[in-house]
Amino acid sequence: MAVFDAEKVQGNILRGYPLDRVRHMILEVSDRRRAREFLAAAADGTGEEVPRITRSANWSERPEFCFNIGITFEGLRTLGLPSDQLKTFPTEYTEGMTRRALKLGDFGESAPEHWPAPFDRPDRIHIVASAYANADHHLDDIEKKVAKVFTVLGTRDGRNLPDGKVFFGYRDGISQPRLRHVFDPEHAGDHQIKDPLGTVLLGYQTQLEGIKFTIPTPEDVFRDSAFNAFRVLQQDTEAFETYLTDAAHFLESHRDVARLLPEGAEQNIGGGMSRHDALREVVAAQMCGRWRNGTPYEASPNSDVQDGISLTNYDYSLSSRCPAGSHMRRANPRGGPIVQRVANYTRRMVRRGMSYGPDPETGEHGLLGNFIGANYGAQFEAVMCDWINFGLQDPGITGTNDPLLGANVPETSRFDLTLKGGGHIRLSGFPRFVKTRGGAYTLLPSLPAIRYLSQLTA
Amino acid sequence: MSDDSGWLNSYINSLPERGWFQFLSKYVVVPFWVWREGRPKLPGGPRPSPQPSDNTQRMMNLLMPLKDTSPIGRAKAVMALAQNVDEIFAGLDNVGTVHSARFLLVEDYICMISVYDGDFSNYIRDFISTIGSVFDALMHEVEGGDKLYPSEENVEAFIDWVREHDLFQAPDYPFDLFGLQDEQAGRKPNDPPHDLQTLPRSLILQLHANRNISLGGGYRGYPGYSAAQIRRNLGVGW
Ligand code: HEM
Repeated sequence: MAVFDAEKVQGNILRGYPLDRVRHMILEVSDRRRAREFLAAAADGTGEEVPRITRSANWSERPEFCFNIGITFEGLRTLGLPSDQLKTFPTEYTEGMTRRALKLGDFGESAPEHWPAPFDRPDRIHIVASAYANADHHLDDIEKKVAKVFTVLGTRDGRNLPDGKVFFGYRDGISQPRLRHVFDPEHAGDHQIKDPLGTVLLGYQTQLEGIKFTIPTPEDVFRDSAFNAFRVLQQDTEAFETYLTDAAHFLESHRDVARLLPEGAEQNIGGGMSRHDALREVVAAQMCGRWRNGTPYEASPNSDVQDGISLTNYDYSLSSRCPAGSHMRRANPRGGPIVQRVANYTRRMVRRGMSYGPDPETGEHGLLGNFIGANYGAQFEAVMCDWINFGLQDPGITGTNDPLLGANVPETSRFDLTLKGGGHIRLSGFPRFVKTRGGAYTLLPSLPAIRYLSQLTA
Repeated sequence: MSDDSGWLNSYINSLPERGWFQFLSKYVVVPFWVWREGRPKLPGGPRPSPQPSDNTQRMMNLLMPLKDTSPIGRAKAVMALAQNVDEIFAGLDNVGTVHSARFLLVEDYICMISVYDGDFSNYIRDFISTIGSVFDALMHEVEGGDKLYPSEENVEAFIDWVREHDLFQAPDYPFDLFGLQDEQAGRKPNDPPHDLQTLPRSLILQLHANRNISLGGGYRGYPGYSAAQIRRNLGVGW
């Protein structure tokens, strides 16, 4: 097996940056010679006018900014990668995100036909370059340098909201796969089984028994690369909060409500709140799998107080209080019972996201998400099409979609709240809260791959 | 269509039954059509659908061409399966989403016919990860199978190969064929709309590209239920 060297791996794959702002620049290669020169200089930090690519290796000091690039299949072609090599890339990537729309739930209002510029022209999107910093002037500075070489088709700015939260008010960025061979003090207390490097990087053993994903040609160059699903996900906060209120009204008079939340438990939620408000929080917590402050619902169904409760160490079972239909259980069923008995822990991915908006004019806001793994089909798409939407993993939820981000319509949507002692209360009539507004499938090339692409001559 | 030349129309309509025409069609007309406006091969298997009920009980009709079609070659393929059939069935059981599966030896093909829930590539990937090495024995007897060896290190190629050899499922409503052909050729479906009269011709051209097809998506006795839902309702676990 190849020796793992984090210097060869782009930093946004294995590291969460301690930086609060991001600018994703969506680029077209208009002059391939200059684009290649840029890549060469970015790989090795040899140009004044070119930001250096951040690596996954440990830093001696905290960087002021970070810089990473993802390249689409069209981008590889435009940079001049020969067609016999292009053929060795996986089908999902070759087709690109827009042609995978149905599998990803991107239909109706989320369909690529409705995506705004620059995502309305996926054929022109060659590179998504991402700059991270705490101060806007760093981002502006990097954008200026990038714009000298590439056509900037559009940008998307994101930022971390206070308290590590995302819109809808949940704390995010807690669960992340931990990888063997990677120094990761931030997640040291997480007792979930560690993932092999092959979960995110090309060229290593995966969690699927015996399976190694194919490295595109030449293998020694593309080893240590990863694939990223970059998603612009608009969140309808108003609809979400309104639905929580409606659900709480419905629940208040439900005969089984005491088994959902015992009388008096509202004292231990959000520092003490009204019964109505507490029921809203219970619905939000069951939909996600965590209370909005991050406390896992499975570990603490009647209180969001975090005292001594591990944020990561718990598991699901047939009698779990965390609903099988919750966002987190769908996205990672952990060791819990699932229909695809061989698939537990095999579809994990690295998540890097920041919130965007609200836009001063339209109010649009949401999440700029990066979902990173070694294989789209086995991870991101597998989770999106069989688990997030459809719910094939548990016969009790098959035919339903993720309540937070599934392709729901009020006429058919349903979500079963669990009750103490078994049974459920069914919620229905909720709309789709998260809409897709753009995105791209990009390769996050290894450093050797970036150098290789910079030396193409065609 | 103008109707002032009624005799011509009825003559044209009778053409398919005329021997000279059949001969000409087979050796001249169809090859010429195909050359002029051939249809690209349509992909195998059920098409993705947002409808939950379309995502259970999907059909796979996998035709694997035998390398050696003589009785000896056929026997080798049968042996490769027969020796491992328990493992293969156990593997399908572990995938969890399979309703039924069977193997047939028909003409020059070894066929795997199965009914499964959810996404095709997840089904195949999970299957390979459970029993890949067992399936490899069969792949050695199959045309093009060697370059997929070992399947566990060629999952992507293996999945693409299976899709390639899974039969195209003609739409349940024949008219929908136009839209699929448009999409495959990178055009907007049914824009402009197609003349219904040209359907037979389109079908002939398609059957040139997809020689064997599944006629529609197939019949389901209990539509919309996953294998796990049925097992659960029968009280036999998931
Ligand atoms: C706007 C859209 C989304 C929102 C608001 C959202 C929100 C959340 C929240 C609040 C958590 C819990 C925090 C944590 O454990 O770190 C979470 C976890 C997670 N989400 Fe999302 N999410 C979104 C989209 C997605 C998408 C598209 C996927 C891709 C399949 C996804 C996959 C996951 C995974 C894998 C976890 C961790 C589950 C675990 O390991 O237990 N999320 N999400």
